[in-house]
Amino acid sequence: MEQDNISNAILVLKCQRRDEKAFREIVNRWEPRLYYYLRRIVENENDVWDILQETWLAVFQNIRKLQEPLKFSTWLYKIGHNKAVNLLRKENRYIQMKEEQAKDYRENDNSVINVKERTEIVHKMLDKLKLAHSEVLTLYFLEGFSISEMAQIIGISEGTAKSRLYYAKNKLYEVLKGANDV
Amino acid sequence: MSESNINKEMVENLLAQDPPTVDKQRHHQEILFKKLKLRIWRGKIIGGTIYIILFSAAFLAFQQRRNTDNLVHSICWGAASLHILLWFLIYFLRGIYRMTAGISEKNSGKDEKQRWKKQDRFITIVAILVFAFASTILYRSFFLNDPLRAAHLAASIFWATVFFLFWYPFGTASLVAKLWLEYKKMEMNIPRNSGQDSEMQVE
Repeated sequence: MEQDNISNAILVLKCQRRDEKAFREIVNRWEPRLYYYLRRIVENENDVWDILQETWLAVFQNIRKLQEPLKFSTWLYKIGHNKAVNLLRKENRYIQMKEEQAKDYRENDNSVINVKERTEIVHKMLDKLKLAHSEVLTLYFLEGFSISEMAQIIGISEGTAKSRLYYAKNKLYEVLKGANDV
Repeated sequence: MSESNINKEMVENLLAQDPPTVDKQRHHQEILFKKLKLRIWRGKIIGGTIYIILFSAAFLAFQQRRNTDNLVHSICWGAASLHILLWFLIYFLRGIYRMTAGISEKNSGKDEKQRWKKQDRFITIVAILVFAFASTILYRSFFLNDPLRAAHLAASIFWATVFFLFWYPFGTASLVAKLWLEYKKMEMNIPRNSGQDSEMQVE
């Protein structure tokens, strides 16, 4: 993990010197995660690709301003979040967030669920939760961000981020417990 | 299985639930890197154009000095060509100074960063005001009749320019010295610590 962070920081430093190869590497490294995160916010796949494009262009334009290369991931997700929210606001969709429809997923046949099944449940849950909750949970599972980092990315207070994560985790725990009980 | 392994596996599984389509990803990356290349080229073209325009302006002013019969105009055009070139050089030196400061800033605290930003903003505003003031004086000296007075005015505007020509290189040199000292301090600390560690191991 620490090694990943250091190699990332080195790539960021190279990008700050306008190294195109390093930028390609960064795009390849982060795009699947960023794509997954943005997909949880924006439903339309084409919109996600547009946001991704804008995000990477903004990253390239402003990477020299990034003072701490080790905090690249927080910075990247923050740009992605802002671009996604801007698009949703433009289309008046940000307020009409997804309604919470967290259901129990008891269709599993096995008595003890494994990592893969658990992941499937998490993935389904992320799509069913309110946008605000699914966003923090995605950041938590994908990058293991701390509360303060999540608050920074989404642009909310640490208290709000903490309560959102608490609520989302509780919902998820209930569903996982239900799946284990079957 | 360790927790980090499970987390890694979980992240991989999670990403596998909704992976980007390979074709779309490839297409998106092609467009992205095409746009990036265009941006890089655009930046280079803009920079090059500004560079060429400024040098051409300075050169034309210099040529004008030779072509005119009026002594006052000749002095003023000569001063104008130097005025353009020197302020362009100041702008270039400022860029180097800010780049060095950016590297040095990374190790400093929030207060120091704020102080540096304020100072930089102040110096930039002063430089812009000085440039505007000097340009106005130069413009006004074109309308003088006395060549001696025109020469005095034209020479006086370079005093302020020289101040900035000293400020930025000296600022850069002091920042480089600071960075070098920090590097030396770091270099001196590393063997001392590693030596202590090895002594402790022996004990």
